[in-house]
Amino acid sequence: MPRPSSLVLVLVVLLAAVGARADETCQSPYLPKLVGQEEFVYVWTLGMDGVGDGSDKLVTIAVDPAREDYGKVVSSVSVGGQHEAHHGGFTDDRRQLWLGGLDSSQIFVFDVATDPARPKLVKTISDFVERSGGVVGPHTFYPLPGRMLISGLSNRDGSGRTALVEYNNQGEYVRTTWMPDGAEYGYDVRIDATLNRMLTSSFTGKTNYMRPLSELIADPEAMTRFGKTVVVWDAHTRKPLQILEVPGAPLEIRWALQPRHHYAFTTAALTSRLWGVFRQDDGRFEAVDLAPIGDPAKTPLPVDISLSADDRFLFVASFLDGMVRVFDVSEPRKPVVVLERQIGKMVNMVSQSWDGKRVYFTSSLLARWDKTGDDGEQFFRAFAWDGEALTPTFGLDFEAAGLGRPHIMNFGSTAFYRGVTQNAAPIVSAGTTP
Amino acid sequence: MRAVSLLALLMLASPAFAHEPTAGRASASFAPELPAPGSYELPPIQRVSDAPLLDERGAPAPLLGLAPGQVAIVSFAYTRCADGGGCPLALAVLQRLDRQIATDPELKDRVRLATLSFDPTHDTPAVMQELRERMRPVADWRFLTARDADSIAPVLADFGQDALPLIDDRGRELGVYRHVLKVFLVDAGGAVRNVYSADFLSADLLAIDARTVLLEAAPAARADFGGTP
Repeated sequence: MPRPSSLVLVLVVLLAAVGARADETCQSPYLPKLVGQEEFVYVWTLGMDGVGDGSDKLVTIAVDPAREDYGKVVSSVSVGGQHEAHHGGFTDDRRQLWLGGLDSSQIFVFDVATDPARPKLVKTISDFVERSGGVVGPHTFYPLPGRMLISGLSNRDGSGRTALVEYNNQGEYVRTTWMPDGAEYGYDVRIDATLNRMLTSSFTGKTNYMRPLSELIADPEAMTRFGKTVVVWDAHTRKPLQILEVPGAPLEIRWALQPRHHYAFTTAALTSRLWGVFRQDDGRFEAVDLAPIGDPAKTPLPVDISLSADDRFLFVASFLDGMVRVFDVSEPRKPVVVLERQIGKMVNMVSQSWDGKRVYFTSSLLARWDKTGDDGEQFFRAFAWDGEALTPTFGLDFEAAGLGRPHIMNFGSTAFYRGVTQNAAPIVSAGTTP
Repeated sequence: MRAVSLLALLMLASPAFAHEPTAGRASASFAPELPAPGSYELPPIQRVSDAPLLDERGAPAPLLGLAPGQVAIVSFAYTRCADGGGCPLALAVLQRLDRQIATDPELKDRVRLATLSFDPTHDTPAVMQELRERMRPVADWRFLTARDADSIAPVLADFGQDALPLIDDRGRELGVYRHVLKVFLVDAGGAVRNVYSADFLSADLLAIDARTVLLEAAPAARADFGGTP
């Protein structure tokens, strides 16, 4: 096999230096990133009875301080009905935002390119269950070149056996890849393209995630029906290679972003542990229990994580205690908590900007798992991060604003679609080695 | 030489791209193993249409023009591209693939390479001829352009290839495009069977995927996109 020349190595190193990428820290390596000040945050929001029109909706918030409407809702588009709005993601050209409903298994496709301030619902994909062969609960929307990779949570009978489903960017079904025996549950899916490796995690089936949390916790048998595996796949062939034991429902997965950082993080929700998935010298992977998240005996329920562009800080949001804990993961096998901060009475999603200076939180986990009464506050909260402290910048009360339960966040920018490269949100194209 | 940026970078990019498998080397560099041809599936992703374009001589030429039992590897590029992770990278990989195809009896005459410029105002047939002379193809590799941007637009839309002219903060065009590098494997029935980006663009992988499609008995019969699982 020919070896890369030294000149090529120099070129690749240079590319890596200018192309270092992050979350927008949880995005696919195939997606062009917003690397400057994001202009909008799109929030996929669950409808609440008695709040506004009660329907799920895409809410657009202005987050660029240069805008006159900074900190306000710019637009809101209802999709009609309650679908258990949850996650979503851009197509690989960043022109469409696909948003899924875990209950109805419908997928709502928004055009965010024509007018980024006012996304428009252009298509509803209603054949997900039928075409996929019975998969329900479209969860992660992960763009691949020319298509969307969607991880399911469940199937028609409500149990946890599920699959990865692919659609092309036109909204046509492509294929289904079922989870392997011994690792039937699904949740997140993330690819390291340079390693040709894909990781999937595991949650629970529809009979559990659509059940009130208080009931679920009181049912010992139901509580056994959660995932405890991370699967390592050949990304190109979609074939499973290893099933790693990660007990306690490992949820979000984040690959490290820097060159030669061949590892990923995940958190186990039920056991409140931070895990690392490390590539070994022989090319196989090992899962390592790295650290507790808060006091596991108090069940903080870690839900979302966000890794900084330089692979230094991992933000972990835990739902039941409403806390964010920031781990210094510079030494990935020896994470150290450097900040603990109360975000709200509950908190769910955490997303940070590419430059790591801005961090956003939303409150809602699942419609029937959210806290109620005074503890059931529904918010979007923005913070500045300086590497040591989180400083609040603004917040929005989603219930008071008649919107609902805010869940996943994605970033938008008008300048991106105009092709402006100076004094506006710059971009870096997907395609260079992270 | 008009295409200074791209060609200068091409001189840097040897045929051995850093993403090529490096089995047996130190673990610091990744070493994904290559699958055996036909051991996995490449279901049709989307259908694309053939398109009338211009070859390097300015003569009408189809984008695909495939006969049964052939596949095409289609890439979009522009010669002013200065993004080392974009067009120069793709051309370096395709050049290596071109050499592989020419010496492989199973692929020779069955795999066509087509590189289409999305910058036809600059990339005239003469410029594409210049690019051909630089790449020195030895297999079936066509360098295509079109009369104007309007002729290219439906092809880009059909394939889902973005190519946005970049402007400065005064709205002046900078002569460069933002485009996500994509390379398409298309079967004789006009179905895209895989789409590649820079992170996993490798001559060896392209050749194995082409073999996988060619091993199918009757690709033209796969009219349905995916069918039932």
